[in-house]
Amino acid sequence: MKKTILIADDSESVREVVSFTLENAGYNVLSSVDGEDAMKHLNGLDIHLVVTDLHMPKMDGISLIREIRSSEHYKGVPILFLTTESQNSKKEEAKIAGATGWIVKPFMADKLLSAVQKVIR
Amino acid sequence: MDLFKVKFLNEAADLINNLEESVLSLENNREDGALIEQIFRVMHTFKGNSNMFGFDKIGEFTHHLETIYDLVRAKKILLSQEIVNITLFSVDHIKNLLKEDKEQNGEVLAMHTHLLSAIKEIIGKFDENKIEHTVTNLTDLTGGKMNTFHISFQPNKDILIRGNNIFYLLDDLLALGEGKAFPKIGNLPGAHEADFTSCYLEWDIFLATSESESTIKEVFMFVEGECELKITCISKDCNSFKEDKFFKEASGFTLFSNNSVVENLLKQANEKASMPADAKLSSKTVLSNKEASNIKVSSDKLDELMSLVSELVTTQARLSQFSEESKNTELNVIAENIEKISRRLRDNTFNICLVPIGSMHTRFKRLVRDLGNELNKEVNFKVEGAETELDKTIVENLTDPLLHIIRNSMDHGIEKAEDRIKSGKPANGSILLRAYNSGANVHIEIIDDGAGLDPEKIKHKALEKSLINEEDKLSKKEIFDLIFLPGFSTAETVTGISGRGVGMDVVSRNIKDLRGDIVVESTLGEGTKITIILPLTLSIIDGLLVKIEHTHFIIPLSAVEKCYEVKHEVFENNFKELIILDGEQYPYLYLRDEFNLKNNTPTIEQVIVVKNNDKQIGISVDSIVGEYQAVLKPLGKLYRSVQTISGATILGDGSVALVMDINQMIKQHSIQYKELAYEK
Repeated sequence: MKKTILIADDSESVREVVSFTLENAGYNVLSSVDGEDAMKHLNGLDIHLVVTDLHMPKMDGISLIREIRSSEHYKGVPILFLTTESQNSKKEEAKIAGATGWIVKPFMADKLLSAVQKVIR
Repeated sequence: MDLFKVKFLNEAADLINNLEESVLSLENNREDGALIEQIFRVMHTFKGNSNMFGFDKIGEFTHHLETIYDLVRAKKILLSQEIVNITLFSVDHIKNLLKEDKEQNGEVLAMHTHLLSAIKEIIGKFDENKIEHTVTNLTDLTGGKMNTFHISFQPNKDILIRGNNIFYLLDDLLALGEGKAFPKIGNLPGAHEADFTSCYLEWDIFLATSESESTIKEVFMFVEGECELKITCISKDCNSFKEDKFFKEASGFTLFSNNSVVENLLKQANEKASMPADAKLSSKTVLSNKEASNIKVSSDKLDELMSLVSELVTTQARLSQFSEESKNTELNVIAENIEKISRRLRDNTFNICLVPIGSMHTRFKRLVRDLGNELNKEVNFKVEGAETELDKTIVENLTDPLLHIIRNSMDHGIEKAEDRIKSGKPANGSILLRAYNSGANVHIEIIDDGAGLDPEKIKHKALEKSLINEEDKLSKKEIFDLIFLPGFSTAETVTGISGRGVGMDVVSRNIKDLRGDIVVESTLGEGTKITIILPLTLSIIDGLLVKIEHTHFIIPLSAVEKCYEVKHEVFENNFKELIILDGEQYPYLYLRDEFNLKNNTPTIEQVIVVKNNDKQIGISVDSIVGEYQAVLKPLGKLYRSVQTISGATILGDGSVALVMDINQMIKQHSIQYKELAYEK
């Protein structure tokens, strides 16, 4: 069965690249523009991985991670967040909030896939 | 990747506009934390994306810029005017960098170095920042050669909670070379006490690999803080590992086969945690759950849609005409329905192509700010009716004329602060851009409270340049209209901003090309109001189809006031080209004379009263055919100089009807018969 990945990023081009890469690698991809939008997808669907940006309007990545970790159904879903090297404090914060791992921007397809395959197969 | 690059560029343009607007607002409201946060976020997104799509230069540049705002955000440095200025310059610079062909341009490169050093200087003032830079990882030197490692991996109990899968991790690890993983089950509780979401196992892994220690560490990247990890190099080769002897040495570890009970237990626990129990909804629900939202469509697609609708309307006209001639009732009904639908389709398509005038807003705001600094004039710029919509082609072509008008207002209109105070005005000047709908037109007014236009000065100048004669008697309005003549400029000294005399005539020509009109009102000492009147759309108009002899003409319905029947002799025996209709006098234009059609004059003719601004005139035609949706086609190059005709349209039978430019007709008429111009 194809695994489903939910991505949350306010930047359309990042969303497109990520979903293009993941779809080509054989995953189902759902897109959302921010945390609030992402939560709308988490309503009972099979989601095997969440990939989220940290800086987003409305609900940011950290809050999204917390929301997911505190939900009954999805608390065990792996969550990867997108970050830039410079933000070590943010990385800590996201880890504490419950993120599984991270992908450092800028990334190429192989980097993204290897990170994803660390947490889902 | 190129496909994404286009997306990126589109998005980048949005982000940059967003940034520019935020910075401009921030300038007036420097303490606004939310705004700073937003600017930081936009820069951050922009930086990340630029790097990803190969715009390294922009990425690097934005990184430094972002650092400044990070410091501002953390209240470590104060948002100075200098920072705002540099940010705005940077915005311009980034716009240039986005145009790849410009990237190698010498001027742009010089700007790049200059701005970068200015930015670094600001950051440099703040020493603490220097520590923040990431230290490059020192790769150890064990890489390249085979080594055997012992890896002791003791995960914390809660390692599974964050969604990590230890088995994937061990797989990755063992894929680095040859090796085996031995679980330790010492901590495993009895089945009845076990919590399925906890991890009770620890591992000892022996791995022979040519990879370095840091590569091994990378496997554990995501769980770094959630386990105890010890990696020791136990042998400088891999032979000892393969020999049975090695396993004997490693005795004391419990051996478990891959399919052991414990592994299943853990696997189940992990899966249970990562998958909701009753999650069996199909993906179709996702689609229906999505809210209706905006989509972006490329303007090419819209243009295509628009031209298809135009063709549809033309074809529909043919159908209507054919059905009328055929006297077939059923066909008539169908044709009428299609006419109704195509009209609605047309209106809907128009609507899609409309964009709010507010989309130009940021550029104007920026211009007023920059010019204000340059000219040392404080000007408040306000926009009313930013939501007023216009066809996107019109908006695109309107930016330059509006920029020019605002530039003129700033340069010539608004006086210096000390002069303003002397004449009892507030020290800060103000410019108001107001847009509103009026019938089938949109009015855009640019109102300033500056010195106003001096009719005497304009007249003097026009005489000097022999644009008018001494004996010409001009109304105030006509004098103001002189500023639109080519070669007219009142600025006493030519500044870099305006006053070269190539401005207003170009403005007026641009507006005319959009089938619009421009009107100047001004009171000396109080200010100037420039009104631009534009049609809602350029491509299809509702018109009145009329006939003179065998030629069809279209009069835009928006200009038509009333229609009258008039006997031909009235035209022959009248006084001073005036006609009396319903007890009122109207100047009129006898089109048969205008268009040189002299044969077969009918005994009863039609007079259509048309209106433009405050002038009304009657125009005579042979007969009125009816209402008609006209798809406008431009006239060829040869006929571009014919001012009274603004275009042509193709009728149902394939013949051509000319579209009259009422505005121009009234203007020409009032020039020819000045004393007769009937002002209401």
